[in-house]
Amino acid sequence: MPLVKVPKPRFIEKIQRFFMVDLLRGLKLTLKYNIGAMTGADPVAGKGIYTEQYPKNRPDVAPRFHGAPRLNMDPETHDTLCIACNLCALACPEDCIDVIPLDIEVMVAGKARKKKVLDEFIFDTSRCMFCALCQEACPTYCLELTQDFELATYSRAGFVWNREMLEQGRETVKYTR
Amino acid sequence: MLFFLPIDFINDLLLKFFSADMVNYVVWPFIQVVLVISLVTGWVAAANYLERKVSAFMQARLGPMRVGPWGILQPIADGIKLLTKEDFIPDKADRWIFFIAPYIAVAAAFIVFVVVPFGPDWAVIADINIGLLFVLAVSSVGVLALILAGWSSNSKYSLLGALRSSAQMISYEVAMGLSLIGALMFARTLSLSSIVSAQSGDSIWFLVYQPLGFLVFLVSGIAENNRAPFDLPEAESELVAGFHTEYSGFRWSLFFMAEYAAMVVVSAVAVTVYLGGWYFPFVYQLTEAKGYHNLYVIVSLLVFIGKLSAILYLYFWLRWTLPRFRYDQLMDIGWKWLIPASLINIGTSAISIFVVQALNGWRGLKTIESLSGGLNLTGTGKGVMIVLGLVGLGVTGLLLGRINWRSRDFNLKSQRRNIKLVNIPQGKPAVPVVASEG
Repeated sequence: MPLVKVPKPRFIEKIQRFFMVDLLRGLKLTLKYNIGAMTGADPVAGKGIYTEQYPKNRPDVAPRFHGAPRLNMDPETHDTLCIACNLCALACPEDCIDVIPLDIEVMVAGKARKKKVLDEFIFDTSRCMFCALCQEACPTYCLELTQDFELATYSRAGFVWNREMLEQGRETVKYTR
Repeated sequence: MLFFLPIDFINDLLLKFFSADMVNYVVWPFIQVVLVISLVTGWVAAANYLERKVSAFMQARLGPMRVGPWGILQPIADGIKLLTKEDFIPDKADRWIFFIAPYIAVAAAFIVFVVVPFGPDWAVIADINIGLLFVLAVSSVGVLALILAGWSSNSKYSLLGALRSSAQMISYEVAMGLSLIGALMFARTLSLSSIVSAQSGDSIWFLVYQPLGFLVFLVSGIAENNRAPFDLPEAESELVAGFHTEYSGFRWSLFFMAEYAAMVVVSAVAVTVYLGGWYFPFVYQLTEAKGYHNLYVIVSLLVFIGKLSAILYLYFWLRWTLPRFRYDQLMDIGWKWLIPASLINIGTSAISIFVVQALNGWRGLKTIESLSGGLNLTGTGKGVMIVLGLVGLGVTGLLLGRINWRSRDFNLKSQRRNIKLVNIPQGKPAVPVVASEG
């Protein structure tokens, strides 16, 4: 009673082994890839080379990718769309958003009214898990997670984004070659 | 030929300063040597780039792309990096041997180029009448460098690499030398230029007479050069880097140069002996016969380089296709297959030459044209010889397959097939089996 069943090679397999068919198959495969890489045509996937030359050619991320946060502004007046409602901070499961409002006096129809406006917005990207629940919660489409994915910084403090960074975007070096 | 005027012009210029003997035997050889050394060094740089590119393409990658257009300046960047690295000597290393080993490797690899016939006439530096013997003898010294390097490094990985290298040399050097003898029976000379002219006089490659010899030579040549799949002395996944683990900087790059130069040497011998060297059909009739001597040499040179690059591509191709052999498999291939195959090849070649000679004049058959420059056969003789060569290949394969059939039991696969359960007494289980409640 054999422990491991290894089938005995059949006659055709012996012949194949004798003529080193497996070796020739391997050589054929590598040659196919080599020619495919040089001509840019791979029968498997339609392209010969899969390398993405990252800093030079930026990759296309998926359409539903969640990246760096951004506070959108009114395109005409360039005022922030944020109404300091704190819904995003409440929605955030990681508790990484701090909305700091400010009460100002505004004149509405001749009467002095208090209005809550945004003073400072703190977004800790080191704790963010990019679930985009804040984006879902935002009633004015102000907070948005963009497709930008280069978030690395030199210090932990650099991960904490303030209002200016969120509105203007962080300055990153774009390598083109 | 306007293009080749400078060669004649330089010759005339040299004759004004030196005697004719001096020019022919000192000045021109010196120029040839400088040219060959610079070409081979250039090849090493190019091979560095090409190997990385070929490997990248075979894995659907791009390879070096950042230094220069398509990364073409990468070898220069690598060279500068290697030259500026620290020349590190391990503690308690055998200093002098450690210093000398890379130079032995490079010298052994480069000296062989003296006899390699790159082309006819002035494209060969020295046509000595024991050319092939010289190649085999000197290229084997390269292995000595590996052994010395491994021994002197005072490192276990290097020592293991050196041990493997010496064992590999013993296994494969024999097969390499023996496999050439079959081809030498047709050429009837050891001079490499005469081997090429024997093939061009017959207008045939010895490959078709000697398929078995070519196969054995190619495999043992790859093993001799320590290239994958036979790169056991420097197996990076097992022995860090094998014999050159402790080498860095310039000394390491010397080993690198030696490896790639040795590759060219073995490929050049394979091309010369089996693939007709610089001979190509119609080249002679189109150039030399019409009086363009220098053009003939240059075209032959290009033909030689073309054949050489085909074999060198095969090296890369095999490297990136096959995984490394296990050590016992390597010895198995060497001793059980290649050496007997090359011995049988000598026998079958001798028999087939005897048969062809016996057929000459039998019932008006004419097989041998002349014996002046090698064995020149007529069309019938060639046909008989090719058939006999293929028959020899088949017979050798079957014979060795039959002989090695039982000895392959060392292979675990066969053992596994025969494993039987030993009759162990089935004692009481320590924990009584709980009867399942049905």
